[in-house]
Parts: sequence; C-alpha cells; structure tokens
Amino acid sequence: MSTAAPAPKANMGQPVPRYDGVAKVTGHAQYAADVPLANPAYAYLVTSSIAKGRIDGFDLTEAKTMRGVIDIFTHENAEKLKEIKFFSNGGYASTTIVPLNSPEIAHEGEIVAVVVAETFEAARDAAHRVKVKYTAETPTTTFDSPGTTSARAKGQNAMFKEDPKVGDFANAFDQAEVKFTATYETPTQHHNPMELFATSCVWNGDQLTIYEPSQFVYGLKNGVAQQLGIDADKVRVINAYVGGAFGSKGSTTPRTAIIASLARRLNRPVKLVASRDQGFTIATYRAETRHDIQIGASRDGRLVALRHEGEEISSRADAYCVGGTKTTTRLYACPNVDSLVSIVRADRNTPGFMRSPPEVPYVFALESAMDELAVELKMDPIELRRVNDTTKEPISGKPYTSRSLMACFDEGAKTFGWDKRAATPKSLADGDWLIGYGCATACYPTQMGAAAARVRLQRDGRARVEIAGHDLGTGAYTVIAQAAAERLGIPYEKVSVSLGDTRLPPAPVAGGSNSTASTCSAVITVCDQIRHRLFQALMPNETLADKAKETVGVGQTPASKAEQSGQPLDREKAFDALGVSAIEEYGEWKPEGAPKDSLQALHSGLVRMVGGPDLGGKIAYAFGAEFVELRVNRFTHEIRVPRLVGAFAAGRIMNPRTARSQLMGGLIWGMSSALFEATELDERYARYVNDNLADYLVPVNADTPSVDVILLSETDEHIDPAGVKGLGELGNVGTAAAVCNAIYNATGQRIRKLPVRLEKIEV
Amino acid sequence: MSDKSSSSNASGFNRRAFMAAAAGTAVAAPLTARAAGPAATPSAAQDPQLPVDLTLRVNGQNRQLNLDARTTVLDALRERLGFTGSKKGCDHGQCGACTVLIDGRRVLSCLTLALVAQGHEITTIEGLADGDKLHPMQQAFIDQDAFQCGYCTPGQIVSAVACVKEGHANSDDDIREYMSGNICRCAAYPNIVAAIKQAAPEILKG
Repeated sequence: MSTAAPAPKANMGQPVPRYDGVAKVTGHAQYAADVPLANPAYAYLVTSSIAKGRIDGFDLTEAKTMRGVIDIFTHENAEKLKEIKFFSNGGYASTTIVPLNSPEIAHEGEIVAVVVAETFEAARDAAHRVKVKYTAETPTTTFDSPGTTSARAKGQNAMFKEDPKVGDFANAFDQAEVKFTATYETPTQHHNPMELFATSCVWNGDQLTIYEPSQFVYGLKNGVAQQLGIDADKVRVINAYVGGAFGSKGSTTPRTAIIASLARRLNRPVKLVASRDQGFTIATYRAETRHDIQIGASRDGRLVALRHEGEEISSRADAYCVGGTKTTTRLYACPNVDSLVSIVRADRNTPGFMRSPPEVPYVFALESAMDELAVELKMDPIELRRVNDTTKEPISGKPYTSRSLMACFDEGAKTFGWDKRAATPKSLADGDWLIGYGCATACYPTQMGAAAARVRLQRDGRARVEIAGHDLGTGAYTVIAQAAAERLGIPYEKVSVSLGDTRLPPAPVAGGSNSTASTCSAVITVCDQIRHRLFQALMPNETLADKAKETVGVGQTPASKAEQSGQPLDREKAFDALGVSAIEEYGEWKPEGAPKDSLQALHSGLVRMVGGPDLGGKIAYAFGAEFVELRVNRFTHEIRVPRLVGAFAAGRIMNPRTARSQLMGGLIWGMSSALFEATELDERYARYVNDNLADYLVPVNADTPSVDVILLSETDEHIDPAGVKGLGELGNVGTAAAVCNAIYNATGQRIRKLPVRLEKIEV
Repeated sequence: MSDKSSSSNASGFNRRAFMAAAAGTAVAAPLTARAAGPAATPSAAQDPQLPVDLTLRVNGQNRQLNLDARTTVLDALRERLGFTGSKKGCDHGQCGACTVLIDGRRVLSCLTLALVAQGHEITTIEGLADGDKLHPMQQAFIDQDAFQCGYCTPGQIVSAVACVKEGHANSDDDIREYMSGNICRCAAYPNIVAAIKQAAPEILKG
C-alpha cells in the first residue's frame, strides 16, 4: 500500500494496478489515430472565419494545384448528409448544425471545407490556401450582446423536465430573519482532452469501420449510420483507448459522417486529426452561466427560503442546457424553494456536457452563497451545512438512499486542520502572503443505465469479459476485471477485458459517472448466470417440488441457495460434471425503474438513464467535502494554492487506487475551473480567442498543490447490484466555491465571477 | 540554471543550433542534394514540395524514408514508421505529448523537422523498455498510478527520464518545475512527482 494505492476500508475492493498500465507506459496502447491504415488519404479541415452569414463562393485554384492534393470538398460538391436528432432530445447529435449542407454559417469555426491529400503536410498546406468569400452579418456572442433571445428551458429540452419548487418562496423570503441575495457567473470552458478529435474511416465494400475516440461507441455507430442513410449493422466503431474526454466525446459530432462520406467517395481510407484550435468549434464546450441566488434563513442558520435562477448560453440551433437546479434545490433542507432555468441563444456552436455539467456552475453559486450566509450569521460554514443537512430532499420528500455529507465534512476537516482557520478575514498571514481557508460541499447524482455483457469462463480459471464500455482513463478495464474476478472466484490477473468496440454487447455512454455502476452491474449479472450453471451442475438432483416453489417465489432449490449464499464453487468439478472446458454467457442488466425499452434503445445507441433525484421512490447522490488552503500575495496579488483536501463517500469503491486518482484529478480540475480556465470571447466576432493550450490555461505540474483524497467507507444497498455510486465527476464539484470562499477568508473580498485572476484581487 | 545551459551545450542537438544553421545554407544544401521524385531531374530549389530521401535513427535502428520536407519528427514517427507511442496533443509545442529524446535530450518532436534529426539518435517511448523488462520510470508510473487516460504518458515518461538525467529531480519543487512542459489534463501530477522520485535513484545508479 502507498499513497497512490490506499488500503481498502470496508466495502472497498483491492487497489490493484491498472489493467491497461503496461500498454499505456510502453506506448503500445492504440488510440484512434494510432491505428495503422492501408494507403490512407489525409483530411484537413477548413473552418469558418465568420460567425454569422453565408458563403458566396470559394477560390480553390491555388489549393488544388498543391502537390499531393486529391480533392477539396465544400457544400458545393459534398454529399448532403441526413439530419439527426439532438442528443438532449433523444437523438445522437452534439449539434443539429450540419456543416457542408448549405452555404449558411451558424457559428465561427464551423467546418466549411475539407482538403484531402496524399500526406498530412500537403493537406494542411493546401487548407491554408483555400479562399472563402463570405457575406458576414454581425453576430451575437453572449449574455447582454444585442440580438440574444431568452426563454424558459422547460419545454425546449427533453432532458430538462421541471423547474423544481415547493412551498411559498416569496412569502417565506419576505418574512425571513436573515435575507441574502447575490449573482454569480461562470465562464465558457473547453474540455481540451489531450487527445485531439481524430476520425479515421475505412470502407470494405458496404461495411464502414470508424476509429474515433468515443465515450459512446454504440451512439456513434447509430448516429453516423443515420446520417449516411445506411443500416447501422454496416457500421462498426472501434476504440480501445480514449485519450481523455470529459464529456467532449459523448455525442456524435458532424465531422465523423463527413469523413465517412469522403472515404466512400474516394474509395480509400481517410484519416482526420483535427487541430487543437479546431477542436474548440467542431465539438462542444461548457457554456457560460449566470445565477441569481436568494436565501432566507433563521438566525440559527436554518434555511427557510431558497431561490435559484440560472441562465445558460446555447446556440441558435439547439436548446442545450445543464439545469443544475435539480441538484441545488434538493441539497439542503428548506421548506420553501423556487427555481427557474432559462436558455439564452447566441450565434455560437452548440455547448455540451463537460465534467459535472450541471453541478460545476450551479453548485459554485449555491456553495458560494452558503459561505456568504455563514459570514452574515457569524457561523462556521461547516456548522451551517450541518444545521441544514437532511435525509430527505425537500422538493418531494424522497429519502436519500444514503448520505454521508457531514461524515465527509468531519473527516475532511480533521485531515485539513479546519480548526486552525481564523473566522475573521485577513487574520492569517505568512510574510507577504495572506492565507485563507475555504470549504464547500461536493455532490453528484448516482446514475445508471441498462447494459449487456458477455463473459466466458474456462475450466482453468481464466475468464474473458466483453462489453462495449469505455475507459477514458477512469479505470473501467480495471474495475470490470475486478468485478468479474471477485464474482467468479478467480484471480484478477486471470481476467481479460475487451471494451470499446460495437461488435461487443452494448454499454451506455460513459458519461454522468454511470459507467462503473452500469457495466459492473451487467458483468456481475452475467457472472451470476455462469455461477448458476456451475452450481446446477454440482447439484443436479433438484426435486420438482423445489423447482416449483422457486418458480412461484416461495422457496429455493439447493443450487440457488448455494449460489446466493456466496458458497465457494469447486470450479473444476463443476466443469467436469458438465463435461465442457468453457462456459460463455451473454446477459443484460436493467436498473430498477428503467423504461421497458431500455435495452432495445441501448442496442440502437440511445440511453435511458435513471438515478439522481429520481431513483424509484428515492434520491441517490454521492457526496464529498472539499477544503482549500490558498495564499494571496498582498502586493502582487498572485494566488497560489498549496493544499487541497477532499473527503468523499460514493458507495462501494471498486478500486481505491483508480478512485483516488480520479478524485484527485477532479479536485485539481475544480481548482483550475476557479483560477485558470476561461475561453475568452471576442464579442465583435463571436470568436474564441485563446484556442490553444498556451493561452487556454490549464494547470501544469508546478501549479499543482499537495492533494489529499480521503475515501470514506459507505454501503448503499438501494442503488444497483454493484453498490456503486460513481465518482468520476464528484471531485470537481464545489471546488470553485471552496476556492472563492478561501479567497474571502484570506482577503475579505468576495469574488462572484469566475475565473479569479490576480487583476480581480483588491487587497 | 547553469545545469540547464550546460546540458544543452553538451548535446550535439539543440534548436538554437538548428535555427542558426537554417538561416544559412547548411540545411538547404543536403536538402537539394537528396531531393527525389517523379520529375526527371528535379530541382528542389524550384519545387520544395517534392519529397526528399533521408535516414532517421530511431531506437537504435536506421530507417530510410522518402518524405515531404515539411514532415516533423512526430509525423514521421507516427505516420511513416509505425512508432505511434509519441502523441500529437497540440502540434504547436505547447503540451509535451510528443516528447522524444534526441541524443539523450528531451525534444518536442512536433516542432522538429525530420530533416534536421538526421544523424541524431532518436529515442521514443517504444525504445525505453529492455524487451519485456520495463524501464524503471515505466514501472514507477504504473506503481504510482501516474496516469489515467494515458495519452500524455509517453511524453511524460520520456521527459521524466531526461529530467532525472539532467539532475532536475532533486526535490519535489524541482521535479514540478522541470516537468511543467508536459500537460496532463487528467491531472495525475502528484503521482507523476511520486513516480519520478521512485525511479530516480535506480536510473542514476544504472
């Protein structure tokens, strides 16, 4: 055991090393753009330099005479692809803006031409020589720009079902002993996974193979098939490793069908590796948001009224929204709650899911406001959370399946040394550095979706698990192998796992932190089918009466009794009784309360996720408490974060090593979202200015503090067979508020608009 | 800082030397001499788009190539030689995912033209292990869980090996500073520091 591999507590698996470790440290792990192709042509994108208007024509003369150029495709000569439904409305697409279908331009950086050449170098050079003539109109960029339109999210976006409310907010707020109101803002952010948006398409007759980094291979397969107007069975997506995604690779972006279409037309494999700057506009991003928070409380800190109003930017074409009020209205006990989410449309590319999409902006607002309320009440911020902790969510009174929020605060506070915090701002200093402590709640809904798996067990104890899940760096290979090993009673090292291929049984999108819960529950279900066959082979003489009783549910056969008691299995004896050397089982798992058509939908690449505020009659969330120590130089206003501590409880922890790493990365992401990350907008042109890794600031090693991750033991029997809540997106929720709360503690200055940069500090 | 300048002077390959050479004719001359292509007697001076013949020495083996002169070491490795361990994360020298060793010195292969790497020893992530035996830095990255998605990992490991050999792994702060050219978006940084501390003594001993 080491820091990287913490010793497991109760209800935690072993911290085994990653299944894909050797492949990744030797350079042999094959990411999408690493797959060798026979005689590929290279594609390079040309993207729009205007945000609104139309293309009048192209001058391709110079580009076409470049040596090695095969052809150039624009809306004038490209295949017209079929439109597909928006992901948030039950379809596949990240956007319904379809480039190359018309001369109209919907956003800056939209694909307007694709150059295909014999080499990458020729394609890139020629792409820079494509001349586009536009008629540009003045675009609308963001909040308060002329030309925005705003409307309630409800009714526009199928994923946003309600504006939660309960009681009589207006009256309760009016009569509250303490009233607090503030506005918070979060900026545009881009995922920037290290792996670029690559796509290779290879046709073999009428069969298409796509190599592309994907969080949802079944979605991509079906989405592209629809756009090309071909049978989904003709499309295969292969992607064994994903070089980071964070939400950006979950839905089908326009580029894939374009590249597939060109490959079909040229009768040759086509490879695209979009450039880093193009990634800012050909995929999605976290849109900027604004929040009005109103809190009414009693003098002893109890919330009596809460209102959260959110505004989010989306494109003209699509009503994307994250609608985090579903979380913030349910987080604390409060009898009178009101909320409203609106979508503000501008001439932008369509935003999309980015790590903890609803919770990062909405919980930043609420947890900043809670800290401000604590200041007003002269209460310790942790005690304010304790006073308002609840076992039932306030909107419809559903009980939490489990909730270890205050245990997380207590453990975290102890490790962090919260008792050394000075309640009065500016009272702790080290030379020129003002020191501040801050904390905030982290939470993330427990979600899951139907999944299928195939498992093969051999007499010699080796097993193979096949499921079209996705390892984004999350540890999916590892925890799936652990789940199978444990269930089949074989060593972890004997399990092989195949993921990321649409020839394998389907798994849901690796998003919403559902993967471990969904895939492990499916794998456990299938392993149980194998155990069932083996136990039956060992105990074949079941009486008809036993079987009849079991069928009507009043008793069990000896075999099923043995199976469920966790009795060890004499594997070799069972195989010999069956007279076979291997058993293979396919099985499907569907969460309780999931729609009946969940599995059919899944095979078509559509997800019916359940959980969060609506898991049957319960509400299921993972929780955490995050602590930040921060230093502000009183002269230069430089901000440094020496220390982050997070304590988390998320049901069963399959592997403390991979869980810790993900939460640690999440904490650093959270710090980054407060202090570093913002995509700057040029409001004249609705254009992203800092579209590269030098100007879009992400933390490097020297920016990274010491990070302590505490995993709390928690058992939750009301969620899924694996007992897993999911934690990939838990770590970066609340961190931004903890950072701003620490800035207040250090300086007495409250910053409500992210990111915090040194020019905003006024000590 | 004196360490830094002495290590770059000690190496036969550095970008400053290339820039100086490129400004004169030292690089242009071999380029013309080696130009090849379908035209009968091509003059590269007239058509810089024609491919050129060159030899790259990668992980101890010479590789003959006929390449577009604009090809970077990274694209030559990935698209022509099958060494796809080195990754393209930005193509602008901003992320470090493409880091390789050239004559033992860490270099951003996306900013280095293949032509100027001729006559130099290129070591990629694929060249670190000794058969099935992992390099101590590779083993340390596994032990310390110093990666998640793994995409920046080849660059991190190659960079880390050089960081140790440069003498820049003497403290946590030193490691953090000298590893800051390699971005890890999963933010495995604390584990990367731990891995380098684990591997450093063994590398310096060997």
